[in-house]
Amino acid sequence: MPEINFTIDPQTGEMEMKVEGVQGLQCADVAKIVTELTGAPQQEENTKEYYARPNVKPQIQNKKV
Amino acid sequence: MSKYMTFSEVAFKDRDLLIAALKEVGCSYIRQGADLEMGQYYSEQLKQKVAIVIPRGVIGNDYGDIGFELTESGEYRPVMDDLDRSRALNGRFIPKLRSAYNERVVSKVAARLRGTVHRSVEGNVVKIKVRY
Repeated sequence: MPEINFTIDPQTGEMEMKVEGVQGLQCADVAKIVTELTGAPQQEENTKEYYARPNVKPQIQNKKV
Repeated sequence: MSKYMTFSEVAFKDRDLLIAALKEVGCSYIRQGADLEMGQYYSEQLKQKVAIVIPRGVIGNDYGDIGFELTESGEYRPVMDDLDRSRALNGRFIPKLRSAYNERVVSKVAARLRGTVHRSVEGNVVKIKVRY
């Protein structure tokens, strides 16, 4: 199950975010929802999951003639 | 010296979340509008036009109003007297406001993703997990 882990430091009020369990561009979609509210991050780093592509096998169905 | 300063490194994008966060940290009176003038209580305080004003004295800001200017990029940036930085909420105004704002950001993100929220305090930091 995908999850987002937020960490807020009350001393500074700064927030960090890490998206887990989401591959590829879906991860960027989640980040976009957050940055719409926070503005551009001071620092951004893509994890391995970001570069992974979902393992989708093509499905071929035989047509009945 | 008393003078209004803009905190260019601090920005809030969502006006509703900002207003809610301001109320949470104790700003019981908030003026909202466009091109609101901040009070000039000392000769060094230059004219400032902002979108949100917390009047002088509400949260320990004894030297002047606290304002939020709306930038061209649609962000709200705090403006306050240099001497109030260490006085407003005992010098904790900006960190407390950012924390309150960011907690609301998490709630709004969770709602948009229809996720569940688990909040905990670990050491000196707040950890919030959103599963969706």
